[in-house]
Amino acid sequence: MNDSILRPANEAELVDAIRGHQQITPCGNMTKPAMSTMTRDGDTTRVSLSAMSGVIEYEPSEFTFTALAGTRIDEINAVLAGRNQYLPFDPMLVQAGATIGGTVAAGLSGAGRFRFGGLRDFIIGCSFVSGDGKMIRSGGKVVKNAAGFDIPKLMVGSLGRLGVMTELTFKVFPKPASTLTLVVNCQSSDNLNRRISEAAASQWEFDAIDSRRNEFNLYLRLAGPPQVNQAIAAQVSGRWGDDVRELDSSDSFWQSVTELTFAGDRSHVVKVPASSQSLCDFDHHASAADNIVWVATDDIAFLSERLTKLALTGLVVRGDWNQAIIGKIYQSQLSRNIKAAMDPLNRFGE
Amino acid sequence: MTITRADDRVMDLGKLFPADRFVCDAASRSAFESDGLAAFRAKPLAVVIPETADEIVAAVRWCFENDVPFVARGSGTSLSGGSLPVADGIVIALNRMNRILDLNPDARTAVVEPGVINLKVSQAADPYGLYFAPDPSSQTVCTIGGNVAFNAGGAHCLKYGMTSNHVLGMKVVTAAGEVVTMGGASTESIGPDYTGLFCGSEGLFGIALEITLRLLPKPEMFHTVLIGYDSLRAAGDAVSAVIESGLLPGAIEIMDAVSIEAAEAAVKCNYPTGAAAVLIVELEGPKERIAFERELLQRVITATSPVVQMIAKDHEQRMGIWKGRKSVFSAVGRLSPDFLVQDGVVPRNRLGEALVAIEKLSVDSGIRIANVFHAGDGNLHPLIMFDGNIDGMLHRAEAVAADLSQLCISMGGSITGEHGVGMEKRDFLAKMYDANTVEMFDRLRRAFDPKLISNPGKMFPGPEAPSLGMAGLHPLEKAGVIQRE
Ligand SMILES: Cc1cc2nc3c(=O)[nH]c(=O)nc-3n(C[C@H](O)[C@@H](O)[C@H](O)COP(=O)(O)OP(=O)(O)OC[C@H]3O[C@@H](n4cnc5c(N)ncnc54)[C@H](O)[C@@H]3O)c2cc1C
Ligand SMILES: Cc1cc2nc3c(=O)[nH]c(=O)nc-3n(C[C@H](O)[C@H](O)[C@H](O)COP(=O)(O)OP(=O)(O)OC[C@H]3O[C@@H](n4cnc5c(N)ncnc54)[C@H](O)[C@@H]3O)c2cc1C
Repeated sequence: MNDSILRPANEAELVDAIRGHQQITPCGNMTKPAMSTMTRDGDTTRVSLSAMSGVIEYEPSEFTFTALAGTRIDEINAVLAGRNQYLPFDPMLVQAGATIGGTVAAGLSGAGRFRFGGLRDFIIGCSFVSGDGKMIRSGGKVVKNAAGFDIPKLMVGSLGRLGVMTELTFKVFPKPASTLTLVVNCQSSDNLNRRISEAAASQWEFDAIDSRRNEFNLYLRLAGPPQVNQAIAAQVSGRWGDDVRELDSSDSFWQSVTELTFAGDRSHVVKVPASSQSLCDFDHHASAADNIVWVATDDIAFLSERLTKLALTGLVVRGDWNQAIIGKIYQSQLSRNIKAAMDPLNRFGE
Repeated sequence: MTITRADDRVMDLGKLFPADRFVCDAASRSAFESDGLAAFRAKPLAVVIPETADEIVAAVRWCFENDVPFVARGSGTSLSGGSLPVADGIVIALNRMNRILDLNPDARTAVVEPGVINLKVSQAADPYGLYFAPDPSSQTVCTIGGNVAFNAGGAHCLKYGMTSNHVLGMKVVTAAGEVVTMGGASTESIGPDYTGLFCGSEGLFGIALEITLRLLPKPEMFHTVLIGYDSLRAAGDAVSAVIESGLLPGAIEIMDAVSIEAAEAAVKCNYPTGAAAVLIVELEGPKERIAFERELLQRVITATSPVVQMIAKDHEQRMGIWKGRKSVFSAVGRLSPDFLVQDGVVPRNRLGEALVAIEKLSVDSGIRIANVFHAGDGNLHPLIMFDGNIDGMLHRAEAVAADLSQLCISMGGSITGEHGVGMEKRDFLAKMYDANTVEMFDRLRRAFDPKLISNPGKMFPGPEAPSLGMAGLHPLEKAGVIQRE
């Protein structure tokens, strides 16, 4: 890796940068350094999208916006909030400075993905530069579009290996007037499991269903007008009695999840799509009714081994490591073919 | 009919299947010669009917080794010619792959074979208070495999997204014969979203063998309102007002006067009279939320000067409202011997403008057009009515359809919201996307299908299409006196 970082100011400069260098690692602001660590030797040039920043189109009545890839999520959130709209999937590491491009490439959705779906369900368009230096514009700017292959979705989780994104279009939703968070103490793991299922299948429409297994705690977020939230909360208390209480500073609780500060000073946090039960002996937080597990650890080599044994895959979201994906790694001829189609010169690394 | 070399080889494929599940007689092949877009017809060499995933894989691998094109087929309800066979290829019919392999109420997932009928999933999930959200109007017959391949939609896309948003993972066989697992049982995955890419691939990548679906809790309550306006434009403006209010309805639909007339004639849905257009808005959710939102909706509607209003008081009345809406396509069949359904999308705030332009197209061409659409997401379904027995009419109808596609592109929309590009709109793909992007689509396709044997002739512009257009038929063929073999 050479030390220079290129910061193209526009698409033309980015295309030149890509055509002019043999090995490239794209990045945003590097909130997730493991993901832009190059595993191969040689003269790799970092290309940061941080100078290509800004919301360039916003149509509140369409529920859509388009932003340059280097735009920070906090900036996007502020623009949307001005018209009472939001990205319902709770983007991660907002305060740490995550960019929209880095967020798509990392494929990260937070607790809010439970109700309406994750990042993949809200991305509708994406422009990017392919490995052979071509500008591609796929998807579109209307909320519904079935024409052509869905490359915007393919870019979700692509970790900068398939193309360098320049511009992204997202669908957004009206922002609920308020949220209310309930903590349900479940006393045992079995009881916690039961209540997660019950909450997830209920008609109460929780906005987020998270849990901390070591405390047997279930965290339920309601979103909507305050009186509606209160009425539903009363019903939940009716069902689970004294185990239910309102969390007073719910914002800071959910921030501890999206910013991963719940992990304290543990050096690494790894995202594992799986039920949390198989990872009980690690510090962890589970989101989306046990579909996403955030594992905190100081011993990432040990975690990687464990994941491999369980045939699980993890993504290193916080902390430096020599590879972004740990545990069981699936490779197919198809994935190699897709990589070759998008990056025929293998500029972006494996 | 002369026996070609390809026909000969197809008999070898037959050895992989019992006689009753490999059909190559003319009559059986005719049953598969077109889909919901009957203007295109082509007879395949043979049809195989697998009953296991292994049989599908074997058929695909055989096709790959022998350079024989194939088309996967669910129920053949595609409206864009997506499941039209290739004349020198085979059809892999998936109707017998119709088992629900696993239904997990705790994880709220269902693992299904591709030939499972859409509605059957919701029926199986019903005892657990769950359902499968994507509900195309064809849901009583279309298959999950077809829904995945076309990324099918329906009335609920604004709030719930399309099929793709409800598919967690799948096992597929690529056209090159590799069996690949994508995604999984979790709502989240790591690495590129191959599942998302496969959805909407229109059968050009290979065949989905097994699909993991996300199930949702059934809403506790619905609040369904039918509102009449004195113009289409007023109905369109009302959509914006609803959206601006911060409400997120489960469905927002519009029907114009011709659609209302057709629905009324067909199913006597008892829509209130005197409206030039009706808007259907449906809220859904917990009763506490509905109690609040119905008042807000009422205030918004009152401010839009409706001419008439009807609120469904019970399940029966709600079903009545939906029956009218859902019957429009078949009802229009009563008003006109033939029709083409378009599926363009325009930005929601240009709906009014688009409708005025469509009206003008109708007047200029002398062709009647009915409009029914998923207004919440700007997805138009103009029904272009014509009589195919009158010389040149199909041509004229197709010209109107082409103008409509062009209109959607020029407004910054899309040529298809849910019916796919298929055979019908393939010339427009390159009008919607630039050359680099179409080339990238092609490269991705070849990553799955290096020999271009999976559903060739669809989606991409170009001469490779092996199928026939009605307009190109000999008059005697049209009259059914002679047939091409
Ligand atoms: C612990 C920590 C705390 C921080 N705190 C702050 C803070 O308080 N304030 C502050 O301003 N900054 C902070 N930073 C700096 C900071 O890293 C960010 O600002 C950062 O934005 C994020 O970009 P990214 O993280 O989204 O993407 P990256 O982490 O740079 O990249 C993630 C992945 O996405 C890929 N990628 C990124 N962009 C693209 C693209 N356009 N196309 C294709 N692939 C792409 C990369 O290759 C990589 O695989 C912090 C960083 C860390 C590690
Ligand atoms: C009356 C009517 C109403 C309709 N309403 C709607 C609507 O509201 N919304 C909507 O979106 N569509 C609608 N459609 C269109 C159609 O029903 C959908 O596109 C549906 O998804 C097609 O399913 P099918 O099983 O009939 O697929 P087919 O028509 O058999 O096939 C469609 C495509 O899928 C491919 N395919 C099928 N199975 C597989 C598989 N297992 N793996 C890979 N590819 C496969 C085929 O090759 C073909 O390209 C309607 C059609 C009709 C006739």
